[in-house]
Amino acid sequence: MSNGSDPLRPLTPSEREMVAMLEQLSREEILQQLKQNLQTAIEIELATIPIYLYTYYSIERTVTTAEQLDPASQFANKAGGVIMSVAVEEMLHMSLSSNILYSLGEAPQMYLHSPSPYPTPLPYHNPVGPPGPEGGRKVLIPLAKFGYEQFWHFLQIEYPEKVDAWPEDRNWNTIGQFYSYIRCLICCKQITDEDFQVNGADTQIQSYNYSPNNIDTVHPSGKFNSWGIPPVQGEPCPPPGNGCPSAAAAAEYSNQPDSHAGPTELMTVSSKLEALQAIATICDQGEGYEHRATDDPSRTEYSHYYKFLRLQAQLQRYPDHVEKLPSLPVPPDPIEPTVTDDELAEVIANFPDNPITRPVGVIGNSYVYPEEYWALSDLCNGVYQYMFIMTETVYRVPDQGQKLFFNEGMHRSMIWVLDKLIQAMRRFELADGHVLAPTFENFNLGSRQEAYGNLIGLTEAITDNSQLQAVSGIIDNIKTLPDVSQYWTDAS
Amino acid sequence: MSDDSTTPGAPVPKPYKYQQAPIWPTTIGKPLQPVQPLHACMGLNSCKGQDRYGAAGPNGGPRPGQPNECAGQGYCSNTPDHTCHVQNQCKDQGGCGLYGTAEEMDNPGRNDCASLGSCATPINAERFSTNGPNQGKSVWARARQVFHQQEWPKLREQNPNLPAELPRVGGDAYKEDIFKDGPAYLWVSNDNEARSNMTACGAGGMSGAGGCG
Repeated sequence: MSNGSDPLRPLTPSEREMVAMLEQLSREEILQQLKQNLQTAIEIELATIPIYLYTYYSIERTVTTAEQLDPASQFANKAGGVIMSVAVEEMLHMSLSSNILYSLGEAPQMYLHSPSPYPTPLPYHNPVGPPGPEGGRKVLIPLAKFGYEQFWHFLQIEYPEKVDAWPEDRNWNTIGQFYSYIRCLICCKQITDEDFQVNGADTQIQSYNYSPNNIDTVHPSGKFNSWGIPPVQGEPCPPPGNGCPSAAAAAEYSNQPDSHAGPTELMTVSSKLEALQAIATICDQGEGYEHRATDDPSRTEYSHYYKFLRLQAQLQRYPDHVEKLPSLPVPPDPIEPTVTDDELAEVIANFPDNPITRPVGVIGNSYVYPEEYWALSDLCNGVYQYMFIMTETVYRVPDQGQKLFFNEGMHRSMIWVLDKLIQAMRRFELADGHVLAPTFENFNLGSRQEAYGNLIGLTEAITDNSQLQAVSGIIDNIKTLPDVSQYWTDAS
Repeated sequence: MSDDSTTPGAPVPKPYKYQQAPIWPTTIGKPLQPVQPLHACMGLNSCKGQDRYGAAGPNGGPRPGQPNECAGQGYCSNTPDHTCHVQNQCKDQGGCGLYGTAEEMDNPGRNDCASLGSCATPINAERFSTNGPNQGKSVWARARQVFHQQEWPKLREQNPNLPAELPRVGGDAYKEDIFKDGPAYLWVSNDNEARSNMTACGAGGMSGAGGCG
């Protein structure tokens, strides 16, 4: 494992040309564009999170036990770990873009900025892209369960740019080109280090809040002995039991700690160099470093694009795929063992496509929930939006209190509230055979000052006994989330 | 699909290795001394009679009713159990390994306060760290290493009779050092009969204990 970090690559010829053009603008115009595009960047990163999480939660990762893993179950567990590893890095990217914007003196906006309705374009994404599996060229991303088609949409999001691609801020074709434009704005001579010091690093989201892996990003390489003992630091592995390695020995980690530019994955920003490093981390993790399949100096972490492509390469339809993939990085050969559609059906929950809670704002592809589930779905959406309010609030919490706030707010809500709530919801089967899934809507909790009270109000709206039984422990955890109202007395 | 494919823990290892040990207690006993430092797991206790069985001593095993004899010998935590990251109620209660930063995972059982702990207690022997220098290695063994490096020298200053190396869990009561790897989930779950005795998170089923999802 390398202890290094991605080097900052020099501007491409296209980027140098763009910088020369941008430098014809006034300093104020460049600064304004930079701030607008960073807010858009936050919304792009934010948009990917519900899309990936929705598909993640459609996967049943432990249909069989460790010792009896069959190929489909093993694939499901791997797919879950890989998708979660990407989702974790998307949260990192949202934090990095937010730190840059905040350093420029602007408060990042996330609350009520989730995509709606689904299927959705990403903000300012060119609505026409390369041909997909059915030949269509629309770039509209649905909320959908795991499957070959959904993975094409994931690839549309992470599609790598061509070598020396033209930077684009509107109607962009790839996220890499969009960030390339931001990189050009930062490199303009009118922009100085002082511009990134309007809001200090001490109240930005700190590096200690981020970890590349957790037990949910890890997956087993094959059958393992759930009773097996892990090795001790500095000592050799114990022999495998039952013919299988321990969970520790079978564990595969989709993320690597050297997958970043700059000093750490999550970093604060107070100079042009640090802003460029943060953007390099985002781009490298998403699309790969220097058009490679990997994104890190040790070349052990695949980019988001390649992680998804490798999962797709194990599916039955991949060998005959017709969708247009970029020439670099070179697509993988089909990966064995092949997982058939029938096998996949055994490990995927029957989530509906593009669900919404109520029949309001319905478009052709929406799936509307029966009224008896509205309160439960509202609660899930309220938690989802409150998480964005808490993220915005981090910038108002003094540094010495940030770790505690982050743990009690962000970590608790992710691990103990949203995760458990979605798992509880998917146990409810609907009349047509689908199961209840999160809708990830822009549920309005009122002003940020009122939001906590309104969130608690949503917990009281659940009156159905079976639903109450399923979520009562989760509601207890919701009530332990920080009340952010004290931080928003001066704002809405 | 066979029954074994969906039965958690199956096949269960035989013979049961902890036949001679006391049964893992689901509740925490009254301590021998009213004030004591809390600790996260087996073998991390700072003084005599300080462990999960408390002053009443173990409910079975080779020395029933006799509290543990010395620091580092105790059976399991004397802190309220919790299931995961940020759910701990007090200092030094974080088990670590499943969620948390590289630094946290390299210092299991050494958190500053409530909500700053990482992961479930007790620290089941099967658990491994997912980040940092201890990635892929035993969390419990790391907790004992940290206890040995940071806490043990202070305890030896107070009590020069303590040995240089950490004692076995349970002292010399067992012919074999059956707890050398920490509290195995097989013991905690009473031979896989009581899987709800403790839970630890992990959607991939790799935490080595009853899952919380």
